[in-house]
Amino acid sequence: MKSLSEMTHYEVLEIPSDAAPDEVERAYRMAQATWGEDGLATYSLYEEGETEAIRERVELAFRVLSDPDAKAEYDGGLVAEGTDPLDDLDIDLQFVDSGPAPSVDFVAAEIDTFDDAADETGDWNGARLRRARLRRGIDLEKIAEVTKINPSYLRFIEDDQYADLPARVYVRGFVVAYARCLGLDPERVATGYLEILSEAAPEAARRGRRTQG
Amino acid sequence: MGGGKGGVGKTFLSANLAYTLSRAGYKVVAVDTDIEGPNLHTWLGVSKPRVSLADYVSGRESRIEHLLLETPHHGLGLLAATHGDLAAAQPEAGRRLEFLRALRELPCDFVFVDCGAGAHPATIDYFLVGDEGLLVLHPEPTSIENTYTFIRAAFYRRMHAAMQKHDVRECVREAMDQRNERGIRSPLDLLEAVRHMDPEEGQRFAATMRSFRPRILVNEVATAEDVKLGFSVRSICRKFFGIEADYVGYINRDQAVRDSVLLRKPLLEVRPEADSAVYLQRIAGKLAEAAGAPR
Repeated sequence: MKSLSEMTHYEVLEIPSDAAPDEVERAYRMAQATWGEDGLATYSLYEEGETEAIRERVELAFRVLSDPDAKAEYDGGLVAEGTDPLDDLDIDLQFVDSGPAPSVDFVAAEIDTFDDAADETGDWNGARLRRARLRRGIDLEKIAEVTKINPSYLRFIEDDQYADLPARVYVRGFVVAYARCLGLDPERVATGYLEILSEAAPEAARRGRRTQG
Repeated sequence: MGGGKGGVGKTFLSANLAYTLSRAGYKVVAVDTDIEGPNLHTWLGVSKPRVSLADYVSGRESRIEHLLLETPHHGLGLLAATHGDLAAAQPEAGRRLEFLRALRELPCDFVFVDCGAGAHPATIDYFLVGDEGLLVLHPEPTSIENTYTFIRAAFYRRMHAAMQKHDVRECVREAMDQRNERGIRSPLDLLEAVRHMDPEEGQRFAATMRSFRPRILVNEVATAEDVKLGFSVRSICRKFFGIEADYVGYINRDQAVRDSVLLRKPLLEVRPEADSAVYLQRIAGKLAEAAGAPR
């Protein structure tokens, strides 16, 4: 419950003070998406110039926290001032009547772990691939860009549109590349996907082979 | 289940989360409070409710438990909101309070209260009565805008109720007017003002602020950006409103949802394999876990 000017760099980026460099980076990217000029989430809430002020604080926070020397100096200053970044205002606990106090948890990392446990089992069909992708916050276009695979094919893979896919050997390559982008085990995912494809659409697989010639 | 804008999926989520939990073995009641636009009964396959909240408003029925209807689904009851007197749809304040108290007394594990669109005080009261306030939003500016209006309305109403001194209450009431003369724009401004007026009320305000924790659901996501929206809104709740919101999940845009409403059946019954059904079950699981509900 602090105003922006009272927040530490850690609070601005919503990370704990012992956050690892990659956490800092991800929190920064998340903050950029949130407070960016064309960000959807800020719509209608802020007056002119207000989001710009927040963006400047985000930039400053990242500049300091991503530079080991600047960070060490900043941390030293916090200790000298006796400011604990997690210390809230002088709230008298006798009035706190419900539940545990909100924790300052790490925002962006949750995208990776969000619901991950719930998706451990099942076949590697297109829907499961898509869920894994969305959970990691990666757009299909990004995968197409990295893998140089035609986005239509990636979409067919996710939609389980077997009839529209090329020959199996190509599909296997596509799925391997896709899985690699998401940090999944490419062998396991590709084998799983092709098993489903063979069962579901042997004809489509044959037809695909023909069109690929 | 609130969220300000109409058509974002409040009723879809109320009906389907209620059904999902009832299928998991919980005793659940789904309550429609949208007298001006009732739909919940349709999602739950009850086409012509025999009694409804409207009978309570009109005084034809004075006991809430007499309004409970069975649905085709085991363990899932319904309190409908059909056939309202549209000239005076919502119960007057005293009766509303009585109704809210009765909702909390219903003999079941979960009560899902489906709110109508908008941020009318009655709607806000139905939202605030729950242990958890779920906010449904769509990845589009119109929904975002109405969501913030809704959060603001709910927040100020909760704070107004929590304050004890007359002049502080008056200050909170004035702050609800977005163009107020005190120059209070955000909850953080109001906290400062209250602290300045009366330190003890300031403490109470801060503590109540901490307990105000809406949960965010993003419906009809189509891209990874849409998924991230929940995190962004959570971040903005922190920085602008000074409140902690939880992001409990998202549901993808899915033809299966449309299929299920056309059949007037729960999604999980019609298309259990659909992505949307998978996401729905996860959210239901999280809610059950958050409530610490025993199986």
